[in-house]
Amino acid sequence: MFFIVGLGLGDCKDITVKGLEIVKKCERVYLEAYTSVLTCGAEALEEFYGRKLIIADRDLVEQGADDILEGADKSDIALLVVGDPFGATTHTDLVLRAKQKDIGVEVVHNASILNAVGCCGLQLYSFGETVSIPYWTKTWQPDSFFDKVELNYRNKLHTLCLLDIKVKEPTLESLTKKKKEFMPPRFMSVAEAAQQLAQILEKRKSEDNILVSGASLCVGLARVGSKTQKIIACSLQQMCSIDIGGPLHSLIITSPELHPLEVEYLEQFRINK
Amino acid sequence: MVNFTVDEIRAVMDKKRNIRNMSVIAHVDHGKSTLTDSLVSKAGIIAGAKAGETRFTDTRKDEQDRCITIKSTAISMYFELEDRDLVFITNPEQREKEEKGFLINLIDSPGHVDFSSEVTAALRVTDGALVVVDCVSGVCVQTETVLRQAIAERIKPILFMNKMDRALLELQLDSEELYQTFQRIVENVNVIIATYADDNGPMGNIHVDPSKGSVGFGSGLHGWAFTLKQFAEMYSEKFKIDVVKLMNRLWGENFFNPKTKKWAKQKEADNKRSFCMYILDPIYKIFDSIMNYRKEEYEALFPKLGIQLKHEDKDKDGKPLLKVVMRTWLPAGEALLQMIAIHLPSPVTAQKYRMEMLYEGPHDDEAAIGIKNCDPNAPLMMYVSKMVPTSDKGRFYAFGRVFSGKVATGMKARIMGPNYTPGKKEDLYEKAIQRTILMMGRNVEAIEDVPSGNICGLVGVDQFLVKTGTITTFKDAHNLRVMKFSVSPVVRVAVEPKNPADLPKLVEGLKRLAKSDPMVQCIIEESGEHIIAGAGELHLEICLKDLEEDHACIPIKKSDPVVSYRETVVEESNQMCLSKSPNKHNRLFMKAVPMPEGLAEDIDDGKVNPRDDFKSRARYLGEKYEYDVTEARKIWCFGPDGTGPNILVDCTKGVQYLNEIKDSVVAGFQWATKEGVLSEENLRGVRFNIYDVTLHADAIHRGGGQIIPTTRRCLYACLLTAGPRLMEPVYQCEIQCPEVAVGGIYGVLNRRRGHVFEEQQVAGTPMFVVKAYLPVNESFGFTADLRSNTGGQAFPQCVFDHWQILPGDPLETSSRPYTVVQETRKRKGLKEGLPDLSQYLDKL
Repeated sequence: MFFIVGLGLGDCKDITVKGLEIVKKCERVYLEAYTSVLTCGAEALEEFYGRKLIIADRDLVEQGADDILEGADKSDIALLVVGDPFGATTHTDLVLRAKQKDIGVEVVHNASILNAVGCCGLQLYSFGETVSIPYWTKTWQPDSFFDKVELNYRNKLHTLCLLDIKVKEPTLESLTKKKKEFMPPRFMSVAEAAQQLAQILEKRKSEDNILVSGASLCVGLARVGSKTQKIIACSLQQMCSIDIGGPLHSLIITSPELHPLEVEYLEQFRINK
Repeated sequence: MVNFTVDEIRAVMDKKRNIRNMSVIAHVDHGKSTLTDSLVSKAGIIAGAKAGETRFTDTRKDEQDRCITIKSTAISMYFELEDRDLVFITNPEQREKEEKGFLINLIDSPGHVDFSSEVTAALRVTDGALVVVDCVSGVCVQTETVLRQAIAERIKPILFMNKMDRALLELQLDSEELYQTFQRIVENVNVIIATYADDNGPMGNIHVDPSKGSVGFGSGLHGWAFTLKQFAEMYSEKFKIDVVKLMNRLWGENFFNPKTKKWAKQKEADNKRSFCMYILDPIYKIFDSIMNYRKEEYEALFPKLGIQLKHEDKDKDGKPLLKVVMRTWLPAGEALLQMIAIHLPSPVTAQKYRMEMLYEGPHDDEAAIGIKNCDPNAPLMMYVSKMVPTSDKGRFYAFGRVFSGKVATGMKARIMGPNYTPGKKEDLYEKAIQRTILMMGRNVEAIEDVPSGNICGLVGVDQFLVKTGTITTFKDAHNLRVMKFSVSPVVRVAVEPKNPADLPKLVEGLKRLAKSDPMVQCIIEESGEHIIAGAGELHLEICLKDLEEDHACIPIKKSDPVVSYRETVVEESNQMCLSKSPNKHNRLFMKAVPMPEGLAEDIDDGKVNPRDDFKSRARYLGEKYEYDVTEARKIWCFGPDGTGPNILVDCTKGVQYLNEIKDSVVAGFQWATKEGVLSEENLRGVRFNIYDVTLHADAIHRGGGQIIPTTRRCLYACLLTAGPRLMEPVYQCEIQCPEVAVGGIYGVLNRRRGHVFEEQQVAGTPMFVVKAYLPVNESFGFTADLRSNTGGQAFPQCVFDHWQILPGDPLETSSRPYTVVQETRKRKGLKEGLPDLSQYLDKL
């Protein structure tokens, strides 16, 4: 049997009871460690579960699926995923592969940023399409996600922006070589994300029908679900220079029209009341 | 220096209309260096008596030993034209008023094809070319190659028929036969000129014409030469005809009847061709009487021809006397220098039409206008065309031409390498020029500054440039265009130090070697092998010798030479190839198709290139290759290196966010075209079409990390399903030999997979010229093999000509290409065996 277990967002104790039982009985347990990270390290998890974990990087999960699934038809193998297995990160391909090999799959759900974001008081019902904001390079500066932000805004919906994280990503130069060199780990902060958005606004200022502006209200969230969770609400402009501490961050661009209760709840996170 | 000081040269450098920058170009062994010596002897750097024996411009020991030129060498010369000759210069841009002195910067370049990159570098810094042709062998393959290059660089040619002494002494041609030989060579040269230059082009009519004085005749070895002008001057008083008119009469279908004193246009019973009668006959008489020791006869001739011998020469006889007589009567330096001053363009004339070819930037910025006007007060624009080793090991002079402004010792300048793009910082240094120098054969002389239109060397720039570059003081200057070589480095050897501890010295030596030769490539393979790639066997041999003796100074082990191959396809992919990105959310659908014949060559020649306007390029491709014009407009890129002969075409319809992955796809394409699927050789002549793309909705999941490797896998799948083939480089090989040796040549060529496509007798001689195609891979040891099979009578000249498919399917284990692929893979440290399609092709 192949188990995919969600770990939740906070610390090692956020795993469900069902999940913990699975972890304890499995022959091999992989920890997916490139799409998100827990605020506590892998060592803390190993100690809490009382067993060894195998760190699975991007190459292993994307290209070494066969290695992960090996033996899963006879014994139990688990893959631990931060958040929910089918949340922000989609591990559907792995499930399909397992099905092809006639391996049974069981999923243990947990909280994901996609629902935990409710902690800032914005109604989950009023969220539009979720986007990711990637780190720009000198030559690669995609801004198509902004179209979605703008569309949500017009439809009076909030946009949840997931921010890029780079853990063990090969450098662009080394991509075309046989020996891979990896970039140092990086996590995009709300300030960096806001700055990229501001640059897009600047680039598109000639287009006259853009409603999102530097004054639009944004919410910055850090380490949601952990004890050090921090939420802040301010304009996009102000967000560019705000520091809300260590990773992981998420950014919300709120709808132009807020429910009175949303306004009231957000008030407690305002930086300039 | 005997005749002039550096200060005097510096003074004449300012008189830009009186400067002539010229190169001497020719087929190997046609006598360039020897001829150059007679020019140098006239300008007074070496004694006149030694002309013809010194090879002044062959500065290296191996050059002197082998009697071939390997490196091009520059010499500056100063020469005063007499008043009666000055009137021949009518264009006001061609001489300063009231100035008789001319500064001639001459570059002697190698004739052997393996070194033709040196010729390219020489042509770039000059405006005119003296094309030397051995009148016995006529126009040869390398004559054509260098002439074509010269015309492409907008260099004006003049012609010199060398080795007349051989024609007279060895071949014993009669005067009419000799005239016909000359006539044929002039025609051959003009045919080449007409093929590559347009009469209405910016240079105007550049045909060579003896009656205009732009063709010289003579013998470099004996130190004598003339143009029709010399003889017209001798006779003009006698005939009372103007020199210019007489020059016209002395060439072509002009016949004179000495009895009736009438000129005619046809040959009649008792008239004779004027060229034979007035020019060749006196020369024949001198040759005949001196070589047959008829003392009275020749002594009677001397006063008639106005020849006055020095006292010590009077006792000579036979060949030595002949040399002295001819040299006194028709001094080579005089005739040649006149020809150069009168017929070659000054920098002022030349830079007007050369600017648009030279400058990459807009044609109306400060730099462009400075170049166009050859203005010494404009911003500095200088092109460094090559690096010349100094006596100080490991350091180089940067040799080049100042096109605009002045370059001075100590001045601060921008040093821009070939990869510099305006507005960016890459390949750009702002440094002071340590010293400017004049380069004269073996000597260098420091000079304060050098104004536009001149050639000079720089000290201290070598640290910042690999081989070539642009030096400027103008902040917004673009690069001067990089030179295009007519040969490619297709032969390679791997080197390693005999003593492994010497590796750092080898690496340092390779860096120096790469600098000192305009074309050699020094590559480190990923397997750690050090590779040297050159134009041919001889080129590599010289490079290796230099590396061992001068640059690395350690004993070196070298592998057998191997050739580079190219990978291509011969049919369309037999299925739509799909590859999924690692996260499985992005899918690429592509196919490979071979390019139509000729397109890869068009891309090589720059007729189709990435910088073209995409609309006119699409029209051209549509008309010539029947490409769909809408598709041809959507060529994403060329590769490898952004310019190579493979293209990627976007054939998708309405895919959203496609432009966000374009860069990644292009990067993957560059990678795959540089390292093909069979044995990681470059691709050639393959067109890839992208038919469809499925993308993840979110930008983060379709970044370079996902798309670049996927593109490569997909392209590899396309190649494997499209009939992959190997291409090998092929030389065009020209072999001169006497008739008896022709049989031996066929034997050798057959054994080496060569095939003869032309065989003809050189008119007027017993020599035969055999032209053949010969795979480069079979050319190692060819020269030696040929000599031993023809009793040393056949001499081949091999020039890279084209790529040809190596017959056989590399995917079949019994085929020859399969063996080649395996050898290459083994050498590169790749897994042996064949690439597996399932690694690259994904299922839906």
